[in-house]
Amino acid sequence: MEATIEKQIKNAGDLVHTAEESLLEIEDLTITIDSVKKDLVKQIDLSIKAGEMLGLVGESGSGKSLTATALLGLLPSSLQITGGTIRLGNHQITSLSEKEMRQVRGKEIAYVSQNYQSFFTPFIKIGKQFVEVIQSHSPTKKSEAKKIVRYWLNKVNLPADRVFNSYPFQLSGGQLQRAAIACAILLRPRLIIADEPTTALDVLTGEKILDLLRGLQKELNCAILLITHDLKHVMNRSDEIAIMYGGQILERGRTCDVYQNPAHPYTRLLFQSRLQLSKEVTKELRTIYGEPGLIAEKGCPFARRCPYVFEACNEIPQIKTVSDAHWVACHAAN
Amino acid sequence: MLFIIRKRLFQLFIVLLVLSIFTFTLMKLAPGDPVLTILNADEMLVTEEDQAKLRSDLGFDQPLYVQYGKWMLNLAQLDLGKSYMTGKPVWDELMERLQITIELTTFALFIMISIAIPLGVLAAINAGRWPDQVSRILALIGASIPNFWLGLILIYLFTFKLQILPSSGIGSYSHIILPAFTLGFTFAVVYARLLRAGLLQSMSEDFILAGRARGLKEWRILWIHAFRAAILPVITVFGLSIGSFLGGAVVVEILFSWPGLGSLAVEAIFNRDYPVIQGYVLLTGIFVVIVNLLVDLSYYVIDPRINRKEEAL
Repeated sequence: MEATIEKQIKNAGDLVHTAEESLLEIEDLTITIDSVKKDLVKQIDLSIKAGEMLGLVGESGSGKSLTATALLGLLPSSLQITGGTIRLGNHQITSLSEKEMRQVRGKEIAYVSQNYQSFFTPFIKIGKQFVEVIQSHSPTKKSEAKKIVRYWLNKVNLPADRVFNSYPFQLSGGQLQRAAIACAILLRPRLIIADEPTTALDVLTGEKILDLLRGLQKELNCAILLITHDLKHVMNRSDEIAIMYGGQILERGRTCDVYQNPAHPYTRLLFQSRLQLSKEVTKELRTIYGEPGLIAEKGCPFARRCPYVFEACNEIPQIKTVSDAHWVACHAAN
Repeated sequence: MLFIIRKRLFQLFIVLLVLSIFTFTLMKLAPGDPVLTILNADEMLVTEEDQAKLRSDLGFDQPLYVQYGKWMLNLAQLDLGKSYMTGKPVWDELMERLQITIELTTFALFIMISIAIPLGVLAAINAGRWPDQVSRILALIGASIPNFWLGLILIYLFTFKLQILPSSGIGSYSHIILPAFTLGFTFAVVYARLLRAGLLQSMSEDFILAGRARGLKEWRILWIHAFRAAILPVITVFGLSIGSFLGGAVVVEILFSWPGLGSLAVEAIFNRDYPVIQGYVLLTGIFVVIVNLLVDLSYYVIDPRINRKEEAL
């Protein structure tokens, strides 16, 4: 019986995810605070292909989590999408009704948050919450749903029976985050949004979680949007990388291109301020001038912290093509 | 779980002991003399001799601590004594009335819950809009008007003007509506506000966002994931205010001539019927402690974290 379930789950996966074009296309997305008419996310473009991972890097307050919330259609009522479109497969997310959007959430787009402690409702057993997800999207017999849950719990290397009958507070942090991932992939979503999934975990557990995500992605052939403020997480895992600052995308491209040839001063400074193992110990770690959150009101958001700032930076920079599939928004770049 | 029950039962014992000492002394200090009431001194000629005889019959000539000790000794044998007025055992009298009071309070609780939960939930999901404002105004009204006044207004409206509901007595369901509503309403609207606050709090928790991100239906989010966390503070406050609920029941019983425990207690107080008063106070005390025990136990059921943590210690 277990074997047939496994087969069914596997076969179901083979049918979807064949498109070559990007699975997720964000164009010109702008998110505004209603009350003060301030744009928190300004005209960003992003795209992810099926089976690929996009690392969205930026410091706190740069608008990365907000972008993720907008993808899920769960922006708080004080915020609104005032421009642009989000397309997932053949769904125009920005024009779906609340009811249609609910069916997309969890089934097509899954979400793993940084706060694993309260990913699950604290007073309901984990297994019950998994079954609830399955039954919310398609009428499934409880015994059938249980088998699917077991399958995925085993997949993320958790003791399925014990976890199924545990309350969230009875698991460790790493276990909870694994359970959260299992819950996210339960319905074979096409896109997983992982919003800083390792922030609250220790370094080794965090690495394991990311490796697990990467491994599962291969099997599911889904796209992953990995939001992080830690460059090292995305450098060796993601296929593409996007650098965000002050609600705008400053640079975006294939990870190896951006790494070898960073075009934006901010990207270059980010790479320089990483801790690195080298033979010579540098006297001082390079830092970026100014405080995080120091965002220029008009023009390039990084202008007030940029060492190469000049007059033109008061204007919003055009997006320039650095090389094939590598873009930058900077006046100084050529 | 067993630990808390044991602890509470011990507390119950202490509470009742202190309660009995206080009521016993307070009644003796209060003005008025039961002997004169029993002998009906207002209407009949009573001699000093008669008074002295009755006083010694009832043991009033002995020191206070001896009287208390005797009463306690009887209580230990579950004997609350006999009513001075009717001569019937206090226990029987209390039980007879208790049934009628339970009828009223159960119905009032039912009305309370069926107003508080829908009103609180509506106010929470429409926070800032008109259902929220309505609940705010109702709570202000409920918290400010005393329930005897609300009762009078209701009697005026439904008995005098519309003539659809009886104002006093027992017997049919139509008799219970007005008193139960009077008792339940003032509590309900205040609890609705508490529930609203709790819901707004729990709806902003991260696990609610995560639940929505999993594509759960909004009613499941509300009733299964958010409600359970929101109901805890309401239950806590209910446990704390069960005393004033029972107090309110006394007022309502008098107002609507509801022959329950409350009316019995008030009659007993007017007549200085000490055994009955003491019996009533003890019974109320037991009730309050038991309700609080149930409130504590409900935490264990609602939030399993409490139970497991204690086991782990």
